[in-house]
Amino acid sequence: MKRVVFVLLTICVLNSCNSNEPKPIKLNSDSCDNCKMTISNGKFGAELITEKGRHYKFDDIACMVKFAKSGTTVSTKAFYVNDYLQDNTLIDAKKAFYLKDGSINSPMRGNRAAFSTQQEAEQYKTKLNAAPSSWDEIFNSFQ
Amino acid sequence: MKIILLAYFLSLSVLCEARIILVGKNLPLKTIKAAIAQSTDGDTIIVSNGIYKEGRILINKKIVLIGKNFPVLDGQNKSEVLSVNADNVVVKGFKIINSGHAALEDPCGIRVYDKSNVIIENNILDNNFFGIYIQNSKNCIIKNNTVKAYGEEEQLIGNGIHCWKSENLQIIANKISGHRDGIYFEFVTNSVIWRNVSSGNVRYGLHFMFSNDDAYITNIFKNNGAGVAVMFTKNVKMFNNYFEENWGDSAYGLLLKEIADSYIFNNRFSRNTSGIYMEGTSRIKVEKNVFKSNGWGMKIQASCMDNEIVNNNYLKNTFDISTNGSLVLNTFNSNYWDKYEGYDLDKNGIGDVPYHPLSLFAVLTETNPSAMLLYRSFMITLLDKSEKVLPSITPDNFVDNTPLMKSLPL
Repeated sequence: MKRVVFVLLTICVLNSCNSNEPKPIKLNSDSCDNCKMTISNGKFGAELITEKGRHYKFDDIACMVKFAKSGTTVSTKAFYVNDYLQDNTLIDAKKAFYLKDGSINSPMRGNRAAFSTQQEAEQYKTKLNAAPSSWDEIFNSFQ
Repeated sequence: MKIILLAYFLSLSVLCEARIILVGKNLPLKTIKAAIAQSTDGDTIIVSNGIYKEGRILINKKIVLIGKNFPVLDGQNKSEVLSVNADNVVVKGFKIINSGHAALEDPCGIRVYDKSNVIIENNILDNNFFGIYIQNSKNCIIKNNTVKAYGEEEQLIGNGIHCWKSENLQIIANKISGHRDGIYFEFVTNSVIWRNVSSGNVRYGLHFMFSNDDAYITNIFKNNGAGVAVMFTKNVKMFNNYFEENWGDSAYGLLLKEIADSYIFNNRFSRNTSGIYMEGTSRIKVEKNVFKSNGWGMKIQASCMDNEIVNNNYLKNTFDISTNGSLVLNTFNSNYWDKYEGYDLDKNGIGDVPYHPLSLFAVLTETNPSAMLLYRSFMITLLDKSEKVLPSITPDNFVDNTPLMKSLPL
């Protein structure tokens, strides 16, 4: 019995080490790992998790892409971005819908906003006078 | 003579045209909006004491708006309070409170839209999302305003004085506290920030982004979340400022990132986690500054080059200098280091032995911050001393060849 519990516990512990869940960004306290600025806007933040399970936080989606391409760290396992409509909520970057430019003003002028549904993105496209974008477009836009 | 006469009559005619419109609770005109509607270019509107809840007040004529005894313009947490949409407007002597707190728009106490020669003077702004917002404007003066908000960590709040895509601005003698960034410059050129006090802001006291050819002189930046940041900019002059009490993991007196051709002269950095943090900076001269009682006097990352650090005083810092690599492309000359233990046999005021400002332990903690636990332990002191004699881990060209024996009178 003890052995079973022990094995289960180990699995749990190992699982938690390897978690794909993003850590919440602490606004006005955490700083961007790419540009060093303190993250203060919960609409444009981003986070990536490396293959080794390290978390890096960013104040702009552009900063995350630049960081991921800079070779500072091992390859990335997961990307997360802030939902533009919910304050400081991280969603999976590859499943998000994006808008760019228009009146979107992000901290480091990446000017991309992420939405969790296509509907919301469509709705805000006219409101923000923005153009549609995608994760691939964003990933290829920044060096 | 004729010209003088002509000028006299001209000025007289101008005086005759311009009217003074009075607004007050006991006067025929009760609202500022009505007064603006009646006015023409060149008029002066004087508003007496009282509380005015008129929603968003739009100034679309070239007028002077003066408040007597600080009349209160209350946005009732719904909207922008005062919008300036005309050239040559003067706004003076108002207390502007409670702009909206929307997340998608940026409601402001006072906002200037694409205009020039606007003067905003002697106002009190309290509890607004953004305080004063200058957008795409020229030749504006923002003077003697008190801008206050109550932002906290984990909360979205705007900047105190936010300037975007503007030129020739003068930001003089304002007091800003409790906003995200006290003063924020983005794409602002040829402007000056002089004699302001920016303290207790959530993020930066002053924040420069992509703003070239500016100067900030004789300001006090105290106790802000992360100090002052000057980023992605060139040709900025920073004179006579105080950077004080910016404590925290990612807090700096002054954060320099991707900046070039600038001059940091006669500033005082005291009681900060790091006095100056430099990354990707080049061709900067740091002269006659005082670094006192900081955790780190200066952190110079290996990505910096051609910076000149001359004639500064380093006093009572835990570490004077720190760096993250072995590449040294910056020069240190004739600084005073209170940790210098050399001698001066020829009595010329310059130490005869070069000084290595980078201590072994500073290098160790840079790569392994938790090593800080061992600070001031016997072994570390021993290692530090031996490193001083025979540099092995610290780069040996990280050196001040002419260290001063006495501190400079700064």
